[in-house]
Amino acid sequence: MLEDILGSIFSAGTFNQMLRSATPVALAALGGAMTEHAGIMNIGMDGMILMGAFFGVLGSYLFGSAAAGVAMVLAMGVVVGLFFALFVVKFRSDEFIIGTALNTLALGLTSFLSRSIFGTAGTKGNPALPTVHIPGLDSIPFLGQVLNDNSLFVYLTWALVLVMWLFVYKTPYGFWLRASGEKPETLRTAGIAPEKMKWLASILCGLFCGLAGAHLSLGQLQGTFAENMANSRGYIAFACVIFSKANPVMAFVAALMFGFFDAIGLRLQDYISSDLTNTIPYIITVVMMVYVVVRSQRRKRRAGGRLTRKQA
Amino acid sequence: MKKINWGYLGSLCISVLLAFAIGAVILAVAGFSPLQAYGAMIDGAFSNARHVGDWLEYAMVLCLTGLACVLGSRVGIFNVGGEGQLLLGAVAACQVGVWLTGLSAWIVIPAAALAAMAVGGLYALIPGWLKVKVKVNEVITTIMLNTIAASFCQYLAKGPWKNPNKNMVAATAQLDTRYWFTNLIPNSNLSTAIIAAAVITFLTWYIMQKTSVGYEMKLTGQNPRFAFFSGIKTDRLVILCMVISGAMCGLVGMFRVYGVEHLYRSSISNQYYFEGLTVAMIAQYNPVTVIFLSFFFAILKIGAQGMELSAGVPNQIYLIIQTVIIFFMAAESGIFASLRAGAMRRRARADIRRKGDESHA
Repeated sequence: MLEDILGSIFSAGTFNQMLRSATPVALAALGGAMTEHAGIMNIGMDGMILMGAFFGVLGSYLFGSAAAGVAMVLAMGVVVGLFFALFVVKFRSDEFIIGTALNTLALGLTSFLSRSIFGTAGTKGNPALPTVHIPGLDSIPFLGQVLNDNSLFVYLTWALVLVMWLFVYKTPYGFWLRASGEKPETLRTAGIAPEKMKWLASILCGLFCGLAGAHLSLGQLQGTFAENMANSRGYIAFACVIFSKANPVMAFVAALMFGFFDAIGLRLQDYISSDLTNTIPYIITVVMMVYVVVRSQRRKRRAGGRLTRKQA
Repeated sequence: MKKINWGYLGSLCISVLLAFAIGAVILAVAGFSPLQAYGAMIDGAFSNARHVGDWLEYAMVLCLTGLACVLGSRVGIFNVGGEGQLLLGAVAACQVGVWLTGLSAWIVIPAAALAAMAVGGLYALIPGWLKVKVKVNEVITTIMLNTIAASFCQYLAKGPWKNPNKNMVAATAQLDTRYWFTNLIPNSNLSTAIIAAAVITFLTWYIMQKTSVGYEMKLTGQNPRFAFFSGIKTDRLVILCMVISGAMCGLVGMFRVYGVEHLYRSSISNQYYFEGLTVAMIAQYNPVTVIFLSFFFAILKIGAQGMELSAGVPNQIYLIIQTVIIFFMAAESGIFASLRAGAMRRRARADIRRKGDESHA
């Protein structure tokens, strides 16, 4: 019995599932990392993902191709990012209120539009994103099964993680972006308006969260939209951002960790009620949040200790 | 009598009107007649006694959940986890009623209320304690706990506490009719729970606005360091408020079970706490405003449901209108500031131009 369970947990299928579950969270976390660097507490990611999921399916349904769906999602991402920045940056509204309101608005708007356009709360069977088959990869025994034949965005995510890491840490724009959150006045003295970087971060966040949603509806679920399908992934992505201190590579690692526990939950469904296994990734997220804070406090204490020794 | 804040009232009215205008545009784009839809909405809320009963019941839910949220934000902790606390309270209260079947209602109902409050309060204690003692962001933890609670209740309703009737999917056993709250308007959701709710509302308002504890809460929320150094035990106060907030949410769950559904299933609350939270935000965390706004938003909600039945318009338009109001209210000062800045810039430019003209002349 135990051997069965362990065997199914540590199978190639689990690790493949880990990649699939991690991808939308990782994409959203990349966007969240941008706003986090710009000093915006963005808890509206869940709504952005949901909008991405809906508009992806809508574009795919209207124009009959997943590419059109993705194009629509990109347009939507820019609009949502601008909308978010308008309130948070321009009008200086409370980030918490705007984020929460954005999530509720996304829920209302997507459900309303889904019911008025499709006539039901959801839709399925629309043109979906292709899966990618890499020839030759199958010959590697374990890795081949895990890495091959995934949805297009799974591979796109890997590339984007690298690009965003380079962007944040190796380009002047990334430098300004980080400065706009950490020391906005210094940046202003250097002649660059921190607000501009905040607008840019919001738009990038809208784009990435939109892609996360598009992956969810067009990739993972093959052209399906269901009410509230983001299912708190935006908040999990936010936890990943905090965990990684907004480092894109570490955020991806955090998302993989979430994906791993999600995959374990799915495996355990054969043995325990799925309602219980569904809670695993969320419990892990809470534990992760606690760990982050405890870690940073311990570090602070250690740093403080060193300082006093130096002074003495 | 305190002075009415006319500035707030004015911007609220403008926000509501603008939200309805935007709602009308969305309705028109989606192919519905806005006038017909809004007519159906008003009709849906007041056309018969049953709808009025539903309206009052929903206003009660909004008011209690909204006040629960205010209770937290007063001391600077955002309880976003009310949904989970509500569901757990509902399932616990229901199961207590099922276990104690046969005893007098005088024992069962208080026991169920206590169970609901205890479960809701304890569930709120987790994020509250984590926030105060470990400094973990409560927004994320409470939202995660919501999802965990919803799944767990679903597990209980499908598994160990399942309804003996095979046709009932994902529902717990039904309460004995003796324990049901008496219906005040036949066929509506309105039950005697609203009397208890009125008492709780009054107490919450009284404690927050009229007692020294309420003043300490306000101080803690606005300036925790000052509050701490003036001798207020801020940590304890924050945790206490969070627990009471959770207990109130649990109690709302119990009211829904004993007053409306008479068993636990997921329809006990369809993200109701989030709608209460929205009301609290629009009210800018003022308890009295929460009470008034609850009645207003309950009209929208019940009206929207009636509108869906009679005019075929999806009721989610209600959520859209509500969030647009929040956006306007939250941005109100910012919008005015940027308008003022724009006017100043224009005036300055006109000045420069005038001076330029003068120097040329």
